[in-house]
Amino acid sequence: MTPRFKRAWRRAVTRGKSLRSLAQRPSRAGEPCGVRPENIVWIFGTGRSGSTWLGSMMESLDGCAMWNEPLIGNLFGNFHYFRVGGRKSGRQYILGEPYKETWLGPMRDLVLGGAAARFPELIGGGYLVIKEPNGSIGSPLLMEALPESRMIFLIRDPRDVVASSMDARSEGSWLSERSEAQRHTSKPGRNPNAYARTRANSYVQQIEKTRQAYRAHGGHKVLVRYEDLRADTLGTMKRIYSALQMPVDESELARSVEKNSWENIPEEEKGEGKKRRKAKPGGWREDLTSRQIEIVEDITAPLLSEFYPMATTRDSL
Amino acid sequence: MIQDAWRKIKGASPVGEETRGVRPENLVWMFGTARTGSSWLSAIMGEIGGYSRWHEPLVGHLFGNLYYVRAGHRSEDEHFILGARYRELWLETVRRFVLDSAAARFPEVAGGRYLIIKEPQGSMGAPLLMEALPESRMILLVRDPRDVVASNLDAHKKGTWTADLMKKGGREKPPSLAERRPDDFVKGQARRYVRDVGNAKLAYDAHKGFKVLVRYEDLRADTLGTMKRIYSALQMPVDESELARSVEKNSWENIPEEEKGEGKFHRKAKPGGWREDLTPEQAEIVEGVAGPLLRELYPVRSTA
Repeated sequence: MTPRFKRAWRRAVTRGKSLRSLAQRPSRAGEPCGVRPENIVWIFGTGRSGSTWLGSMMESLDGCAMWNEPLIGNLFGNFHYFRVGGRKSGRQYILGEPYKETWLGPMRDLVLGGAAARFPELIGGGYLVIKEPNGSIGSPLLMEALPESRMIFLIRDPRDVVASSMDARSEGSWLSERSEAQRHTSKPGRNPNAYARTRANSYVQQIEKTRQAYRAHGGHKVLVRYEDLRADTLGTMKRIYSALQMPVDESELARSVEKNSWENIPEEEKGEGKKRRKAKPGGWREDLTSRQIEIVEDITAPLLSEFYPMATTRDSL
Repeated sequence: MIQDAWRKIKGASPVGEETRGVRPENLVWMFGTARTGSSWLSAIMGEIGGYSRWHEPLVGHLFGNLYYVRAGHRSEDEHFILGARYRELWLETVRRFVLDSAAARFPEVAGGRYLIIKEPQGSMGAPLLMEALPESRMILLVRDPRDVVASNLDAHKKGTWTADLMKKGGREKPPSLAERRPDDFVKGQARRYVRDVGNAKLAYDAHKGFKVLVRYEDLRADTLGTMKRIYSALQMPVDESELARSVEKNSWENIPEEEKGEGKFHRKAKPGGWREDLTPEQAEIVEGVAGPLLRELYPVRSTA
């Protein structure tokens, strides 16, 4: 089933009575029937790390749908980790630690209810990939609320992430209009070094939280480097399905990899200022100034050495 | 339809039975913005028999900040968790968040007590909360924006009570804009006033249940009379002699002198004090940013 067909079918289902009739299907062993939590596959990491590409390859397979950036992780994580300060342990704060069981339940329902309403075709089975790089800040909370679900930790060299973000937010680029609407003050065109610093800091926040969730998660999980996905897409995809213990038809997977490959994207849809830019690991050497490289490496040093121990740094250039 | 279907999917009880006995109509929300006297008002109400107080759960901030600020551009996107198409569904979760949390923290409320929810810093999300809990009651507490900004300007200077508060939470207060660029700080606070009070006013106007608009200035001028008006408008029972005692106990005059003054939580409680605190330029900045709300809420007050 193509993603377009899936979307059309989903719309038809939710407009008619089918959601209700699906909802009334008898449940197995008394369990509520909906999207099964163990069939949810989270993609966390950070923006501009290839999550759209990875999600599209998975979505193209039969029996799978993709929820594109619901921002549930952003809703809870941004607030809980960065806005409330010392109130976390208190009695009053809505997400207070002593009352965790009262809010993890509604959080879980928000995910499962939102999934069932949007993807009724999955109520009887099938996998739901939740592409949530910009909600990674809340990944520890979400994985705690849904411990049965699967997790992909997708990581990319921070220097390439920053270079890609700078291009995306530059004047006339595909994200620049949104930046205007959100009144971003740290636009790369205004002060590129300040932008590089801000983006590197957000990289650290998101990756550290993803790592925290990944380490704590007792269920199926896999760590994927964007660079490995680029170098050997099919091999890496097979590794993902194997690690997550999800069945996959290898010929169908190969077709999906081919269909979503960089080479199959029309030339006019690629290049600077576009969502698909260059997909070139190490491209930061051409994109960032030496000062920007220095800024990003200084801020992300512990993560860079942990996840890219063999990576070239400015010192070795 | 989506909401009904989801209830069937998860097998939840009908509304009213999922609340562990907390009645939504016994919740009394207090919205406005910080530094409007909400601690004072909620202290008076919370000490009366039959009433409990929930001090700043920040649930309005949790949902309001993403919905109105950080992801405002995605409201029509079907994939967005707080998207318009699935509004009914996520508003039910908001409702559960509040009711389950209230029941766990204030089990006594299940017996029929009222719960005063002091939520000035969550006022941004007031429209969402009041839509999720339409049976609940609402107090819109407002104060002259110039006095609000003046109070915040004082609170965020070096060595004040906000720094003590952060220290208790294990953090050092970073150098504040209030010290470095006070005019910019004033502008930022005026915008915050518009965001908070503006959204709280939207919720107030839309709310069909019991509600009351209270001016801090009226509460200062005639505390007992204004309190009686609040209970009457919200149709909540109160023992008048007990109310009088609570008003007296929590009066400005009963706060020890050493706990009052500049840099302290209890500063001056003086309506119009902005004339002494703000420069004429700063007063103009506030009037420029918050002008429409100022005229609507204080039609007869003078400007700078």
